[in-house]
Amino acid sequence: MNHDQHNHKQECGGGESSGNSGAPLSPWLVGAFIVAIFWGGFYLAFNSGGFRQDVYESNAVSWTGGGTQAAAPVDPKVVGKRLYSQNCVVCHQANGQGVAGQFPPLAGSEWVNGGDKQGENHLVLLMLHGHQGPMQVMGANYNNAMPQWKQLSDDQIASILTYIRSEWGNKASAVDPAFVASLRKEHASQSEAWTQAQLLAIPPAKGTQAPAK
Amino acid sequence: MHRLPTLLSGIFLVFLTSWLGLVAYPVLGLGRLSPVADADTGGTLPPVYGGQAVAGQRIYATEGCVSCHSQQVRQTSITQTDIERGWGVRPSVARDYLRDSTAFLGSRRLGQDLSNVGVRLPDAAWHYKHLYHPSSVCEGSLMPSYSHLFLLRKIQGARSDEALNLTGADAPKQGYEVVPTAEAKNLVAYLLSLRHDYPLPEAPVKKAGAGPAK
Amino acid sequence: MSENIFPHHHAEEDRGTAETRAVDASVRLPVLVLFGNAVHWLVVASLISFILSVKLIAPGFLGGVSFLTYGRLAPMARDLFLYGWASQAALAAGIWLMARLSGRPLGGILHSTLLVSATVLWNVAILLGTLAIFAGYSTGVEWLEYPNWASAMLLLSFLLIGIWAVLQFDRRANERAEVAQWFLVAAFCWFPWVYGTANLLLTWKPVQASAQGPIQSWYCGSLLALWLLPVAIAALYALMPRLVGSHLNRRNLATLGFWMLLLLGGWNGMERLIGGPVPAWMTSAGVVAGVLFLIPVVIIAINLLGMSAHKSADKNSDVEEGVVIRFLRTGIYALISIGILGALCALPEISGALRFTAVTEAKTQLWILGAISFPLFAVLYESFPALLGRDCWCASLSARHYWLTFSGLWLLVGLMLFGGLFTGLALNDPTVSFLNITSYSYPFHVLECGAQLMLLAAAVILGLNLSRALAWDYLFPKKK
Repeated sequence: MNHDQHNHKQECGGGESSGNSGAPLSPWLVGAFIVAIFWGGFYLAFNSGGFRQDVYESNAVSWTGGGTQAAAPVDPKVVGKRLYSQNCVVCHQANGQGVAGQFPPLAGSEWVNGGDKQGENHLVLLMLHGHQGPMQVMGANYNNAMPQWKQLSDDQIASILTYIRSEWGNKASAVDPAFVASLRKEHASQSEAWTQAQLLAIPPAKGTQAPAK
Repeated sequence: MHRLPTLLSGIFLVFLTSWLGLVAYPVLGLGRLSPVADADTGGTLPPVYGGQAVAGQRIYATEGCVSCHSQQVRQTSITQTDIERGWGVRPSVARDYLRDSTAFLGSRRLGQDLSNVGVRLPDAAWHYKHLYHPSSVCEGSLMPSYSHLFLLRKIQGARSDEALNLTGADAPKQGYEVVPTAEAKNLVAYLLSLRHDYPLPEAPVKKAGAGPAK
Repeated sequence: MSENIFPHHHAEEDRGTAETRAVDASVRLPVLVLFGNAVHWLVVASLISFILSVKLIAPGFLGGVSFLTYGRLAPMARDLFLYGWASQAALAAGIWLMARLSGRPLGGILHSTLLVSATVLWNVAILLGTLAIFAGYSTGVEWLEYPNWASAMLLLSFLLIGIWAVLQFDRRANERAEVAQWFLVAAFCWFPWVYGTANLLLTWKPVQASAQGPIQSWYCGSLLALWLLPVAIAALYALMPRLVGSHLNRRNLATLGFWMLLLLGGWNGMERLIGGPVPAWMTSAGVVAGVLFLIPVVIIAINLLGMSAHKSADKNSDVEEGVVIRFLRTGIYALISIGILGALCALPEISGALRFTAVTEAKTQLWILGAISFPLFAVLYESFPALLGRDCWCASLSARHYWLTFSGLWLLVGLMLFGGLFTGLALNDPTVSFLNITSYSYPFHVLECGAQLMLLAAAVILGLNLSRALAWDYLFPKKK
C-alpha cells in the first residue's frame, strides 16, 4: 500500500491531484445549490425591511423601502398605566383600592365610573383642579386633599382616566382628550380645588367617546 | 491562490463583507442611537437607570445570569411566543439596550426571559426570597441558590427591616436574621428596572399590558 | 518536491525522509506543549461540564458556594473548551501541518523558544482568566468572559504564534500550495482580527450596548466558522489523502468550497440572533446565511468523501492508523450534520420555535466537540508518533477514547435535540407554564448527565494515553 501511495505522490506531487478529474458533481446537487442561492437572494430582498435601520419586523415594509409602516396609534391605556404608576399610586395604590379612611378607592368608585349624580365631567374636573374637604365615595367618608393636575396635557389626563376606568374591574368608556380640553377651557377661571358641593352643583355630562377597548 | 499576497488579499476582501455588515454597520448605525423624549413624563426613553441598578448590572454579569436567562423579546414575524408568554408587550429593539453597559441578550432559556421582569414581578421582597432559595417560591425551579449574596447575622437589638421573612427549613436560628448584602440589593434594583413596557418610535405597543407569566 | 510528507509510522524504517524528520524536530517542543496543555484543559472542561449537567437535575448540588454556581461554571467550561482545548489544539495542529506541508524546518532555536514562550503565555492567560471567572470577575459577555488583561494576553500570544505560521506558508518548499494550506493561512489571519475586534468593541472599550448584539453574534459565528473550523478542515484535507492512500480530486471544488465558507462563515453568526433586537434585514441575512452555509459544507464533504471512496481495502492497517481515520471520518459526518442542523435551525419557523432551547446548545456542542474536535484528535494521534519517533500510543486506550467520544457526543446531541424539540413545542403553547416545561426536560437532563460522564471518561482516557506517551519519552529518550 505504501508503495502504491509513493507512486501516486510522484505523479501528483504532495498528495493532491493537479487536475480536476473525478466524478462530476451530481447535476441535481448543482441545481439545488443554484435554487438555494436564488431563494436566498429573494428571501433577503423581500424580508429586508428596505434595509432600513428602524424597521424591525420584516413584514412591515415592502422591499423597495416604501413605507407601508404607518406609526401604529399608541394605546392610551399603556400610557395611562405608566403615568398612573408615576403620579397616582402613592395615594390610590397600584391596585386602585386607596387607603381606608384616608384616600378613596378608584376600583368600583362612582366618581370614576359615573354614578347617579356624578358624570364624566366631574371626574375630569376633579383631576384638573384637585379636591378638598369632605367627600363620600362608595358610602364611606373621606376628608383629605387631592392636588391639581392641570400641568398634565389633555392627552395625558385622558390616558390616565381611560386607564383607571378600565382597570381593576372597572368597565367604563374611554375619555376623549377633546372633552378634557373643552372642560379645561370652560373652567379656566377655577384656581382653587373643588369641594364636593361645588362639583355636584355642576350638572353631570358625558364625554363623547366610544366605549374603552 | 499560490502566492501569499494574492491569497491574503482575497481573504481580506471576503472577510471584510461580514465585518462591514455585522461590525462596522452596527457601530456606526445602531451604536449612535439616542434616547427619545418621553412626552408623558418629560423624561427620556429608555429611562436612565438608578445608581443601584447600574451597579447591579455588574453582579448580573459576574454571576453569569446570562448563561440561563435571555433579555430579548423576539420579532412577531419570527414568533409570537415571547409576547404570548407575557415576557413583553412588544419586540425588543436595539434602542432598548442603550442604557446598558453590556447587552445581556443571552442564547439559552433555562430560565425565563428577563427583559420585562420588573413589570412581571415588581416586588423586591419576592426577588430576595427567590434569590435566596429559588424553589421555595418556584417549585421545581432549576435555579441555584444565591445565598452567598445574603448575610446571616445575629440580631442586634431589633430585627432589621431588611431581613427576609423566611419560613420552614430556610428560617434562620432563633436570634438570627438573613439580610441582603449590597450586591443583592444592587442586583434586585437592576432586575426591577428591567421594564420595557413603553412604546418606542420603531416599536409601537399594540396590545395593552399582557398578563403575568406563571 | 514529491516525498511522502506524512509517512506511515508503524514501520521503523518508514519514518520519512531526513527532511521530514528535520521538520518534525524543529516544531517538536511547541507542538507537544500545546497539545499536552490542550488535553489537560479538555479534561478540566469535561469535568466542569459533567458537574453542570448534574446541577441541572439537582440544582442544590454543590450549592451555596459562590464560585460553584451554575452561572460561573458554565462560562468557565465553555471558555475552556473554546480557548483551552480547541484553540490550543488548533494552534498545535496548525503549526505541525503548516511545517509539514511547507516542507521546511522551523528556522533555528529562536523560533522554537518564541513559540514555547507564547504557548506558556497562552496557558497562563487561560489559567488566570478561568480563576477570574471563578472569583467573580467575568465580563458577562458570552464567550468573551475573560477579564481584559487575560484576553489581551491571549491575543498577544496568538500573534506571536500566528505570524510565524503565515510566514511559514510563504517560505514553503513546494511552489504549489495545498488546499489545506489555504485554510490554515485563512484561519491564522482571522483569529486575531475576529478576537481583537470583538474584545475591543465588547470588553476593552465597549460600544453603546444597542450595537453589541450583532457584534456578539458575529464573534461567536466567526470564532467557530472562520478560525476553528478551517483548521479542522485543513486537517481533513491534509491527512485524509495520505491515510487512505488516495488523492484529492477536483481541486476547483475545493476552491469553491473554500471561498464560500469564507464568505458565509462570518454572516452565519447572525443565525444566533434571528428575531432578536436587530433591524429586519439582519435577521433575514442570518436566515439566508444559515441556510446557504450548507452549500460549502456539502461541497467540502463531497470533496473529502470522494477521497475515501477510492480507498482500497487497507490490509495492513493497525489500530492506531484506524483510530486516526475513524476520527477523520466522524469529523466529516459531524461537519455535514452541522450544515444540515444549522440550515434547519435558520429557517424562521423553526428558529422561532426552537431557538433558546437545548437545540441551540446541541448545535454548539456538535460544532465544538464534533466537527472541530474530531479532526483535531486525528492530528493529535497522527503527530505524536512522528514527533516522539516511536509508536507512543496505547492502542486499547486510543480505541476506547474514540468510542467513548463518539458515542458520548452523538448521545448528548441526540438527547439535546429531542429535549429541545419537546420544550420548544411546549413553549409555543402559552397555557403550559414555564415550570411545567422545566419538569418535562428533567428526564433528558438525567440522560445528558450520562452522556457527559462518557465524554469525561473519554477525556480522562486521552489524558492518560498522552501522559503515558510523554512519560515514556521522558524516561526512555530516543537516541537522536
